[in-house]
Amino acid sequence: MDVSQYLDIFIDETNEHIQSLSDNIMILEKEPENTDTINEIFRAAHSLKGMAGTMGFKNMQHLTHDMENVFSEVRNGTVKVTSDMIDVLFQCLDAIEKYLDNIKATSSEGDEENQALIEKLNTFLPGAEPAKKEAPAPQQKEEKAESSDTPEYLQISLDDSNRNAMQEALDAGKKLYAFTIYVRNDCLLKAARAFLVFKAIEEFGEIVVYSPSSQDIEDEKFDLSFSVIAASMESFDKIKAAIENVSEIDKAVGEEVTLDTYKSDSDQAEEKAPEENAKKAPRASGSSNAPAAEKTAGAPAAKKPAGKPVAKPVTARTVRVDIEKLDALMNQVSELIIAKNSLVSISNSDNAGSSNSQLHEQIEYLERITTTLHESVMKVRMVPIENTVNKFPRMIRDLSRKLNKPMELVMTGEDTELDRTVVDQIGDPLQHLLRNSADHGIEDPETREKNGKPKTGNIFLNAYQEGNNVIIEVGDDGAGIDTEAVKGKAIERGLVSAEDAEKLSKKDIINFLFMPGFSMSKEITDISGRGVGLDVVKSNVEALGGDVSVKSELGEGTTFTVRLPLTLAIIQALLVEIGKEKYAIALANINNIENIPVSDIKYVEAREVIYLRGNVIPIIRLGDLLDCPDQNKDAKDLTVVVVTIGDSYAGIVVDNLIGQQEIVIKSLGKVIDNNKYISGATILGDGELALILDVNSLV
Amino acid sequence: MSELELENIEEEKKQYIVVMIGSEQYGIDISYVDNIVRMQPITRVPKAPSYYAGIINLRGEVVPVMSVRLKMGLEKDVESKASRIIILKLEEQGLVGILVDEVKEVVSLGESDIDRVASNAKGNNATFINGIGKNGDNLVSLFEISAIIDPVASKSRK
Repeated sequence: MDVSQYLDIFIDETNEHIQSLSDNIMILEKEPENTDTINEIFRAAHSLKGMAGTMGFKNMQHLTHDMENVFSEVRNGTVKVTSDMIDVLFQCLDAIEKYLDNIKATSSEGDEENQALIEKLNTFLPGAEPAKKEAPAPQQKEEKAESSDTPEYLQISLDDSNRNAMQEALDAGKKLYAFTIYVRNDCLLKAARAFLVFKAIEEFGEIVVYSPSSQDIEDEKFDLSFSVIAASMESFDKIKAAIENVSEIDKAVGEEVTLDTYKSDSDQAEEKAPEENAKKAPRASGSSNAPAAEKTAGAPAAKKPAGKPVAKPVTARTVRVDIEKLDALMNQVSELIIAKNSLVSISNSDNAGSSNSQLHEQIEYLERITTTLHESVMKVRMVPIENTVNKFPRMIRDLSRKLNKPMELVMTGEDTELDRTVVDQIGDPLQHLLRNSADHGIEDPETREKNGKPKTGNIFLNAYQEGNNVIIEVGDDGAGIDTEAVKGKAIERGLVSAEDAEKLSKKDIINFLFMPGFSMSKEITDISGRGVGLDVVKSNVEALGGDVSVKSELGEGTTFTVRLPLTLAIIQALLVEIGKEKYAIALANINNIENIPVSDIKYVEAREVIYLRGNVIPIIRLGDLLDCPDQNKDAKDLTVVVVTIGDSYAGIVVDNLIGQQEIVIKSLGKVIDNNKYISGATILGDGELALILDVNSLV
Repeated sequence: MSELELENIEEEKKQYIVVMIGSEQYGIDISYVDNIVRMQPITRVPKAPSYYAGIINLRGEVVPVMSVRLKMGLEKDVESKASRIIILKLEEQGLVGILVDEVKEVVSLGESDIDRVASNAKGNNATFINGIGKNGDNLVSLFEISAIIDPVASKSRK
């Protein structure tokens, strides 16, 4: 069977399930009695097993199967959750991830069977597994064999809650379709197929009735066919086609049904087939006296219609859009904006005639379209940082055990959204900062107690939006940065002379930590200390157009603040002129604009500064810095654009302000990649080019 | 096209665009050429190497333009009516423009028409040229495109 085409989906979904397992196991460790969590874990493990089986990844399937056994015991209450068990379960997740990595790299899971892990898992099991659940299976097989003349989907027996659910669906204007799905004879994992079928149907609507019950289907307690009633707005054929698209499904038969179909049909059936009636009777009575499985099986099925929609959002539904398509869309928007800008420039230059007001109207309209289009495209590209950060609690837990320091990670704002490309790349820097906090920040419990702090260290990650930026703060309530020690290290490494070091501000000293190869760790651990740390964080964040700053109080903790732009390709910018050249400065970096008389310029260490509302702001003569020709050098008043990065300021002297504009950022091409002061170019309305200043390099 | 195909049967021939830079003729392999445009305002990029003339707006794309003259150590480009920007399309760098004084013609040259230059040949420009083509009575120096574009080559020259 060729399953390669499903590999992408498999990888994505496995990732989701692993994440969900990891999250819920963390919760389970804290609340061992939480049945919702256990059920969620069970569901994820089960899906994982099913998918691995379907794709033919046997080792992965075995491992997940044994994990599932453990979860099953936990769910039944026969086994208590211990932190040893949690450790083993996490090791299993790591093993599954390893399989997944292998699959990603080679499309094969590899030969590692993880027998040791499976044995460890089995030690948690209390002897043999109860086998009572097997009982109902043969009963159902008989039933199926007999009822071959009327279509199976018309023989579904409905209880009241099924009918209510169907009625609700009809009331909501949906149509009801009954299906009987036949699985191929040679199908190996029928449950997995059924699961895929359910997924396919749920693309279009919801399943209101399962026959046999969904639990039984999941446990593979059906022969070669099973029936469902689905509620959907879509056409019958579409759903049927979707079902038949699932591989190893022989065929799907069915029709549109109403509640009446079932009333009359079941009545008919009762009249027509007395033996069948007899068959049903013991089943109905049977549920009252014996097999517990029947009962439990019935209950989830009845709950399903209500339970499903609530349970769904747990595995956040992701929209998967090809990033190339998004980029194409983005380019189109870019062009639209360029077109808009040229209209703007026409209207500015040609102010004769009465058509001008009309033109303005059009421009306003166009402006509105482009703005909304931009926003909606940006929104498609935006994903919550959740996907990246939700692996961190697990990481901190592991570190906590490894380092023998009790600590806890508290995260807020996981739903903060950022551009997809940024989210993909921010994971490593954040991980690094967290490891830093865990390793260097948090003291050992004895020291903490001595200093009057709670024994458990507190690490936090807060994300929130601030204007056009997203701020992610990562920090701890640990020891803080010992600036004296850093200073000593800097002198020792010859980065600064001893007397110069005395003049350095606290901030300057902390900035040494961002130097390549600078590590404060006395010994190298496998967590951190190799010195390839903060400099990488800094350069990664800057590559994304953001910046990192640090605040630290000795003895109270350290906070790293990562500031990232919301969007990458289109920004609001201020256009300025120096001589005849035009430059754009990102509005997000601009604090204010001032007119300063030349006489107000003061000198500090031979550098020009201005003193503005309590701040000493260095002045940058952009014209000199960029060797611009034809600058206006003898102005009495200077136009100073005050820009800010984090909490540093700089005043950029320009000749002229042109105005604010939405600009599309274009790369300068690969011929010169690393221009220090220029981060890109943009095309103005009249076709002229303006260069975009990289404020980071100026401040 | 059929003419070209006939020639191909006789011998593998490549087409070159012949341009003037100063008083010399240079050939550019046509497979690299995306476009030839007239001179247009070039936006200076500060702090760039001297041979990097700046950027232009080519139908909504920002395209860097290089001065071959400065790259080869000749005097600065003088803009005239005949001046053109040849837009090259390269695998690695994308679109790159180069400034030439004049575009003359397109010629087809086979291997037998080309003298490969030894790498230790005299003269500064040798590294930028991978051969000399004989086009009737005229000699055409054939550009080594990667050497004109590659910033590393210029450093090693200095």
